[in-house]
Amino acid sequence: MEAFLALMDGFATALTPINLMWSLVGVTLGTLIGILPGIGPALTIALLLPVTRNLDPTGAFIMFAGLYYGAMYGSSTTSILLNTPGESGSIMTAIEGNLMARQGRGAAALSTAAIGSFVAGTLGTLALTFLAPLFVKLALLFGPAEYFSLMVLAFTTVSVLLGASKSRGLAALFLGLAFGLVGTDILTGQPRLVFGYPSLLRGIDIVVVAVGLFAVGEALFMASQARLRTAEILPIKGSLFMTREEWRRSWKPWLRGAGIGFPFGALPAGGTEIPTFLSYFLEKKLTKHPEEFGRGAIEGVAGPEAANNAAVAGVLVPLLALGLPTSATAAILLAAFEQYNLQPGPLLFAGNSTLVWGLIASLYIGNVMLLVLNLPLVGLWVRLLTIPQPLLYGGILIFSTLGVYSLGNSTFDLVLLFIVGFIGFLMRRHEFPVAPCIIGLILGPFAEAHFRRALSISQGDPSVFVTHPLSAVLLATAAAVIIVPIILRRIKYA
Amino acid sequence: MNTKQKIAGAGLAIGLGLIAIASVIGFETMQMRVPPSYARVGPQIFPYIIALGMALTGAFIAWKSYRGGDEVIDEVEPTDWKNVGIILLGLIAHMNLLRPAGFVPAGVVLFMSVTFAFGSRRFGRDAMIGFFLVLFAYIGFTYGLGLQLPPGILKGLL
Repeated sequence: MEAFLALMDGFATALTPINLMWSLVGVTLGTLIGILPGIGPALTIALLLPVTRNLDPTGAFIMFAGLYYGAMYGSSTTSILLNTPGESGSIMTAIEGNLMARQGRGAAALSTAAIGSFVAGTLGTLALTFLAPLFVKLALLFGPAEYFSLMVLAFTTVSVLLGASKSRGLAALFLGLAFGLVGTDILTGQPRLVFGYPSLLRGIDIVVVAVGLFAVGEALFMASQARLRTAEILPIKGSLFMTREEWRRSWKPWLRGAGIGFPFGALPAGGTEIPTFLSYFLEKKLTKHPEEFGRGAIEGVAGPEAANNAAVAGVLVPLLALGLPTSATAAILLAAFEQYNLQPGPLLFAGNSTLVWGLIASLYIGNVMLLVLNLPLVGLWVRLLTIPQPLLYGGILIFSTLGVYSLGNSTFDLVLLFIVGFIGFLMRRHEFPVAPCIIGLILGPFAEAHFRRALSISQGDPSVFVTHPLSAVLLATAAAVIIVPIILRRIKYA
Repeated sequence: MNTKQKIAGAGLAIGLGLIAIASVIGFETMQMRVPPSYARVGPQIFPYIIALGMALTGAFIAWKSYRGGDEVIDEVEPTDWKNVGIILLGLIAHMNLLRPAGFVPAGVVLFMSVTFAFGSRRFGRDAMIGFFLVLFAYIGFTYGLGLQLPPGILKGLL
């Protein structure tokens, strides 16, 4: 009930003309970048950070959240018509969706993706509305030791679950943590790892790292792989109005996708990739038409597309209530909170309830806008796919360097961008996941602050992390995430 | 067979590179002079932990690659280093031209290097599109959002 009243207040905020405009800007931009391969929500929000510094935070967050949702809607279009996922959350959609388009059922695939996204996005937002206040109550139980252990758990799960191998995930994580060390130590004011460069005293900005890894690294990788540069755009064929049979086969995957997506988004497992994989394989198992899988089964589009939107709502629960980012985009959103001197968690819900509830209410509105933007207007968006790749990547690099330079009008940041971009290229080439690096960079300094605070409360006694029950449970879970799979493998081979 | 060896070499190099970065972090942290009141829970503990973790991960990757494990996945297609180099040169030119020549010329050079690396040979079209894109970005961001971008040689005109 409490949440319901707060939500009504939120709608009062979200429905003001200025905030409706921010929501529309967000969802439109989100759809655009979702459709364009090579540019995603994490990169776009990172590029928007320097230019939104003086904006009203409520409007800015409404735009960012709309953008995150919009990217999930838009990317399904690219997956279905181009067989290249617009975002990593739509990799599974590309399998059956593109096959459907090849058989002239592209319109039905687009419909089930958009309506499924709407259903799951709305269900996810509902769950967010009622779960976020509960998570805030949980957060009140957390002291520095518990926060530190929670972050250790997040570090382990994102590193272990993403990427081609555990060691690659961990390497990416430590790299991000190392980037986060550079600069002036907050507690003592001492410079760390600045190598005599005064420009490094204020630290390496998350925008530089995100843009370097996502934009420059990606552009270098795409340029190096000629094979990845040819793709065939399929025309939209068939009717956007789904038949009764298609509705019948879609609604259960939508609900199941939402059910998988939301909790996985809320867990520190990197956002949308894992739930969409699980949803695809679940639908493949449960379908009454197994012969169609591999030849364009509508369930294989409906499930994963629902899952990725519900996952976005799930991601927002720990982000808003605990300040814990579970995906790369969420890490950038946490940096946005920092930029406005806002601290997610109980204080945010108490002191900035207009922002929090306005943001949550805007998600309901944004989902409706996105359904309209993505179904009747899909034909317009498809034209974006005809932008030649050289021009697309040329434009991406122009805006990337512009965003990074405008951080502090410093060419030094461009040098850093160059270095990080090359590292990003190597990571992409050798299949190191990027998300652990971004999460390590943004969350590392928080983890260190909690670590040192916990130790100074305990007067240097490190046992606090295991004597506090909640902290001990979190650390034990983190250890289990690494050890259990190794033991299971041993048992299997023995 | 030859490609396999090259791949193991890359994994070894990445592993050793991580150990090298970790050593630098460890060494730099050792050089810090910390007031004794902070000696217990100071600014050095975290860098040491991170350096240790990174070195261990690097050693594991290097060892696995040396033993011929699958630590670094095979590439499907050979890497076209020439295209990578062209974009990197474009970025270097951009950062050096930005202040003296200005945002617009530097941007056009970067744009052209990227389109060239992506295989476009329609220089006229690319230059035109690049010029107008950068110009609109300049005008939009300086007049619309109040950013300070270097005008360079077009000073007075813009």
